[in-house]
Amino acid sequence: MNKKRVTRLAEYFFTVWVIVTLNFLLPRAMPGDPFLYLSSDVGEEVIFSEEQRQYYLAYYGLDRPVGGQYLSYMSELLRGNLGHSLYYNEPVSHIILRRLAWTFFLVIAAVILSTFIGTVLGSISAWYREKWLDKFLFFNLIIMSEIPAFLLGLVLLFSFAAGLGLFPLSGAMTHFAGYENWWEKVLDILHHAFLPVIALTIARTGGMYLLSRNSVITVLEKDYLRTARAKGLSEKRVIFRHVLRNAMLPIVTRVFLSLGSLVGGAILVENVFAYPGLGHLMREAVMVRDYPLIQGIFLVVTICVLLANFIADFIYGKLDPRVNDYSETYGG
Amino acid sequence: MAGVLKLLLKPIKTIKKFSLLGKTSFIVILLILLVAIFAPCISIHPYNVSSGPPLSPPGGEHPLGTDELGIDLWAQICYGARVSLLVGFLTALLAALGGGLIGIVSGYLGGWTDKILMRIIDIMIVLPDLPVMIVMAAFFGPSLLNIILVLALFSWVFPARIVRSQVLMLKEQGYIKSAETYGAGAWYLIHRHFLPEVFPLVAVNMVRLTGRAVVAEAGLSFLGLGDPTSKSWGLIMHHAINFAGIYFTPFWKWWLLYPWLALTLMVISLAFISRELEKMADPRMGR
Repeated sequence: MNKKRVTRLAEYFFTVWVIVTLNFLLPRAMPGDPFLYLSSDVGEEVIFSEEQRQYYLAYYGLDRPVGGQYLSYMSELLRGNLGHSLYYNEPVSHIILRRLAWTFFLVIAAVILSTFIGTVLGSISAWYREKWLDKFLFFNLIIMSEIPAFLLGLVLLFSFAAGLGLFPLSGAMTHFAGYENWWEKVLDILHHAFLPVIALTIARTGGMYLLSRNSVITVLEKDYLRTARAKGLSEKRVIFRHVLRNAMLPIVTRVFLSLGSLVGGAILVENVFAYPGLGHLMREAVMVRDYPLIQGIFLVVTICVLLANFIADFIYGKLDPRVNDYSETYGG
Repeated sequence: MAGVLKLLLKPIKTIKKFSLLGKTSFIVILLILLVAIFAPCISIHPYNVSSGPPLSPPGGEHPLGTDELGIDLWAQICYGARVSLLVGFLTALLAALGGGLIGIVSGYLGGWTDKILMRIIDIMIVLPDLPVMIVMAAFFGPSLLNIILVLALFSWVFPARIVRSQVLMLKEQGYIKSAETYGAGAWYLIHRHFLPEVFPLVAVNMVRLTGRAVVAEAGLSFLGLGDPTSKSWGLIMHHAINFAGIYFTPFWKWWLLYPWLALTLMVISLAFISRELEKMADPRMGR
């Protein structure tokens, strides 16, 4: 652990603290108070007597100074208590844990597929630079990279699921299906996840393609490649040992840096396909005004993204020992 | 007078240098802009009141058909263009002004100010913006102003980074150094030397920010979290996809298709324009 890494870690902790605090302050900054909310929701006017008001304030700990509330909020959070859902009448953490896996599944599948396809196509394009294949790939992938994932998802939904009936319209599994064996269950899950994953993958592949194409082109112009060829190394060895290895570095950072926007895309795509992940849950929670649940999801999603970025920092430092000042990787 | 004319001629010259795709994109955006400006004139029917039988297919009195309440879709799309352009442009403007200012301060002052601002930018870049927007919409009510503010809050980092690196580069230039030795103050330098150099880059970036904001607004509205009083394209799609039985009827062929088409055309055109402009501003990008 050198000094740079320690400061970097401190920054991440600071960010998490800011988000957690924001999460604490948001409902308190919102117009109205819990009593206004309670009395306006029932339909007829419910007036709390002063005694009742005091009772509930004490019950929810709202009569204590904000500092004390903040401390107890933090200690509860450290114990993994995200509050209690008003709508589902269940601890928020339980609900989120049930749904988290579906979102992870979509995002990870899309990351792997798009990175792989994008890198392969980008390398091919760079290799055949300025030939027709490069021009063809470049044109098509640029268009694809600019269409948001949820708009792509809508097209896929209406052509392949509603129109041709090849894929299910919604959900992650067939309801009330009695599976004969585990293989059938896996197939069913893949069948449901296919279109959402494809939508997310297509929307991301373009960006990965452009990046890897650029990166490979840069490496191809380097002197050490001429040296490698002059040494009489086989083309295969040049490509895999010299070109791809060096071109991979910016791709690795990009994979993690773009996770934030991918999560945003996944939230929307889940809602297109009514896929039961966190994005869909978040919208449900907003619709029924389940504030503790909304906050819990927000917290979990942002912290997951931050964690992924921290891992990226770490991996990047290991992959490229030249990087000792992090700001250089951004190109300042 | 001549100065104004020169200022008007410059963009036209830039567009002339566009590729065919870039020119087409520019025409598409121009058309959308005209549709938005003249929305009351070119839509025969009102955009918020029923004007015919519900769910009638395109043709006849309603060129693009009607939705489930019998509201003319063409009128809704015309007025929706206003929302998209307004959100996109205001967000880009706010982000460019704020980000530009922060970039200049950060680059010019350097030291601790620069360090802190850069760390904030690092953090803002990795944070996912959609969940934050959803939370804000849930807590403070979904209004167009809130959406613009949150979008700008997440967009200023891009112009800020561009401006900062440019100012850092300019600071080392000989003519700036000599201006400083002649006693030029910070304000004079910013006003006379930094702003003119930095402005084209920020203007180019604004096109991209506009596209981002349009997509984000559409996404929020699609989730049903947009401003319910504004008939944006995302909101039309939200109503369409939440209509029971939309999958089993032919209604989507106009109700969902046309707002989808309008949005996709706009987003792609903005992306192509910004790509062309970026290529001109930085020749390294276009290869």
